Amino acid sequence: MKLASALDRRRHLTGYAFVTPTILVIVAILVYPVIQSVVLSFGQSSIDGSTGYTFVGLKHYASLMENERFWNALTVTLIFTVLTIPLELALGIGLALILNEHFKGKGLARLAVLFPWALPTALNTLMWRWMYNADFGLFNAVALQTGIADKPINWLGDPTLAMLSMVIVAVWKTSSFMALIILAGLQSIPKDLYEAGRMDGMTRWQEFREITLPLLKGPILVALVIRSMDALRTFELPYNLTDGGPVTATESLSLYAYKVIFDFIDFNFGAAVVVIQFLVIFALSLVYILALRPKD
Amino acid sequence: MKTRPRIGLYLLVALSVVISFLPIVWLILTSMKTTAGIYAWPPQYIPSPFTLENYIKILRDSPELLLYVLNSFIVGVGCTAVTLGIGGLAGYALSRLRLKYAAALMVAILAVSMFPPVSLLPSLFQNFLEAGLLNTYQGLILAHTGLFLPFAVWMLASYFATLPTEIEEAAKMDGMGTLRIFLTVVIPLSWPGFVATGLIVFIFSWNEFPLALVLMSQNAMRTAPVGISLYPGEYAFPWETISTATVIAIVPILIITAIFQKQIVGGLTAGAVK
Repeated sequence: MKLASALDRRRHLTGYAFVTPTILVIVAILVYPVIQSVVLSFGQSSIDGSTGYTFVGLKHYASLMENERFWNALTVTLIFTVLTIPLELALGIGLALILNEHFKGKGLARLAVLFPWALPTALNTLMWRWMYNADFGLFNAVALQTGIADKPINWLGDPTLAMLSMVIVAVWKTSSFMALIILAGLQSIPKDLYEAGRMDGMTRWQEFREITLPLLKGPILVALVIRSMDALRTFELPYNLTDGGPVTATESLSLYAYKVIFDFIDFNFGAAVVVIQFLVIFALSLVYILALRPKD
Repeated sequence: MKTRPRIGLYLLVALSVVISFLPIVWLILTSMKTTAGIYAWPPQYIPSPFTLENYIKILRDSPELLLYVLNSFIVGVGCTAVTLGIGGLAGYALSRLRLKYAAALMVAILAVSMFPPVSLLPSLFQNFLEAGLLNTYQGLILAHTGLFLPFAVWMLASYFATLPTEIEEAAKMDGMGTLRIFLTVVIPLSWPGFVATGLIVFIFSWNEFPLALVLMSQNAMRTAPVGISLYPGEYAFPWETISTATVIAIVPILIITAIFQKQIVGGLTAGAVK
């Protein structure tokens, strides 16, 4: 018994020694800065901290609540999330069903689906910005030449169209991610379930509704939550597509926080913005963890 | 199954492929037009004449665009190496050494991975300023490592969990220590897991934007996505340069994705389906 417990202790010591570097980096880069952001949001200090720190309580939060631009950013972020996620899910399921079939050139098709995800969002966004360009862009060239439009469409200059354009870029980029996760789920469904279904005379739609969809619940949930969190913190998409414009029609919370911190150089007020954003996302991630927790 | 019409399927496949590639193809076509061709009416769908002049001009006049790509490469490789090194150790300990708090630690690591990067910015900027890490490779490598470690630990841990325990037991019988078992037995057995994780972490680091934007503010230290995004400055967009630089910056990722398609897809989806 004594030997066993000594070995056990040694295993634990080694184990925690293995984990320590990871914990240190995560604390330094993720945990401590978030705590600092919370502290910053309750006080007043200079950028480099040389004028010290005075506690001001909820002052920044109080002025946030009366700040129209903050509410606008929150609304823009929520609208963007609510518009993109269902579209991505529908397209993702469709793409996954297509890629689950057997056909020639499947490798190429899967690669085509993977590319938009693998490329930097910032650069994807520039590509789309170029296609949306009102004077020389591909979309207006086609629209004008085919007579769909008789004058250039101002894709990024009109508040509604700009939001729509941003949603399209996001959906283009991330439906593929949804598709890949759902595809992996599809491939883990045992084939004999479908054979049994066919014996019972199920139509393809019934098969989809009664076999496929229930078994995809897990992967769909994971994809949904990962993507919602991504959408809630979207930054480089509006940064590169519209810079939040026209005026603030596409200014997301992340972009607003960035501008407060680095353009208006107000770290304390900016910290209050990111803390609120953090809380919104944290609430969602709690749901995620509860849903993912192994049931035993 | 064989009697179902396949034409509809192929049309859908073709449509998805075209939509996926359209922006990239249009960008490449743009980069091969002359400046006059880019702004011509009627629009040129196919460059006429085809020219590589934009590429030559970048090599000659805008060496900073190549520097951005180099910076991205250094940060990506550094971050991938550190992440695999310390993430591998942690993933192994958490999945294999039956630690008391392994499950709690895994959940905590998953939870912190959901922090929005922008919420780190005000304090990370100040800390890096104080530590002299702004505009240094080590700085951004450290930041990216922190950002992507949670993903790597989860992926590697789930990979280690699939290995049979017998080989490690045998090594232990031979009197090998845990670190030696990890280095000489576990790593050789699990290199596919390391490759998949490493590729995805490299792509994540290459693509990361907000932290790279803030922590590398000097022009010479910018990464490719940030440098190209800021290239236009306050003036009109020089699309012939932007398109060419973007093509140069995405080619490495296109090649990696094309070659390692299977590993990347496997790695990305493994965690979500389990």
